Amino acid sequence: MKPIHILLYFFLSTTFTFGQSKYLTKQGYTSFFSSSPVEDIKADNHQVLSIIDSSTGAIAISILMKSFMFEKSLMQEHFNENYVESDKFPKATFKGEIQGLQDLNTGQQEVTIKGNITIHGVTQTIETKATVNKTDEAISVNGSFPVKVADFGIKIPAVVVNNIAEVVEVTFELDHKPYIK
Amino acid sequence: MTRRTRIVMIISILIVMLVGAFVYYTLYNKPHIDVAKSSPNISIASNTIVNDFEEDENRANVKYLEQIIEVTGTIIETSITNGKGVVVIGAADTFGSIMCHLSHEENEKIWTLNKGQQITIKGICTGYLMDVILVKCVIVD
Repeated sequence: MKPIHILLYFFLSTTFTFGQSKYLTKQGYTSFFSSSPVEDIKADNHQVLSIIDSSTGAIAISILMKSFMFEKSLMQEHFNENYVESDKFPKATFKGEIQGLQDLNTGQQEVTIKGNITIHGVTQTIETKATVNKTDEAISVNGSFPVKVADFGIKIPAVVVNNIAEVVEVTFELDHKPYIK
Repeated sequence: MTRRTRIVMIISILIVMLVGAFVYYTLYNKPHIDVAKSSPNISIASNTIVNDFEEDENRANVKYLEQIIEVTGTIIETSITNGKGVVVIGAADTFGSIMCHLSHEENEKIWTLNKGQQITIKGICTGYLMDVILVKCVIVD
């Protein structure tokens, strides 16, 4: 069992103290966008797993690298085989905190999310702004942040260095619903 | 070098360049796998694949990832989120299940499916989160 699973199960199995506090989505959306003089590359992933504990603001996200769908199958192949090496590192994860989530009223507001993101086996600390929309039945978290490819030990071969941006934009839309076991 | 050989050389270089460009173009535009037209690499019962992932995720990854998998099981749930149909297959008494994300073309068929019904569905496995994930799914039976 991998640490992220232990964490996920821990999240799900802890007893509810203030009524409903766990929110989950299995169909979160994330994408990344690389813009370069030669071409724009975009990939979408609609299978993101994300869990929030609304009483503490803790958030845990798990992403399958092979679930990123590209327009061109060749791009998808290169992404998986050469860049993120998804056979060796099948998942990207994020563990962190939505600051002040427990004190938010319902409605839309801007928050700061801070935590550790792991891609390609490399962990980095990130801090980003996001928009939280809290209602009685859902907590949605939307935002985007830049990722410097080299920070995660991903090497881009010299031949395609003009095709791929050094910094890609990662966008996320996570629409969590109350978790009922 | 005679005029003739020079012309032959220029023409052959042009041909080589054209062939190169053509090969590059076809490779660059290589289509995605058409799940509907491909025969499955693995046909399996829903319980077996879920157990394999629960027991040893790394081994199951090697076996199933990026394969076209045909699973048979019972529908636990169907849903549409942002216009995308998802069929959850498994047995009601087990924790794990398979989330089948329907392909764009199959999306409409979600309305014909009922909870509790037996189904055979074919898709590409991308991994295991809380469930086994299949994408680009096509309903077989």
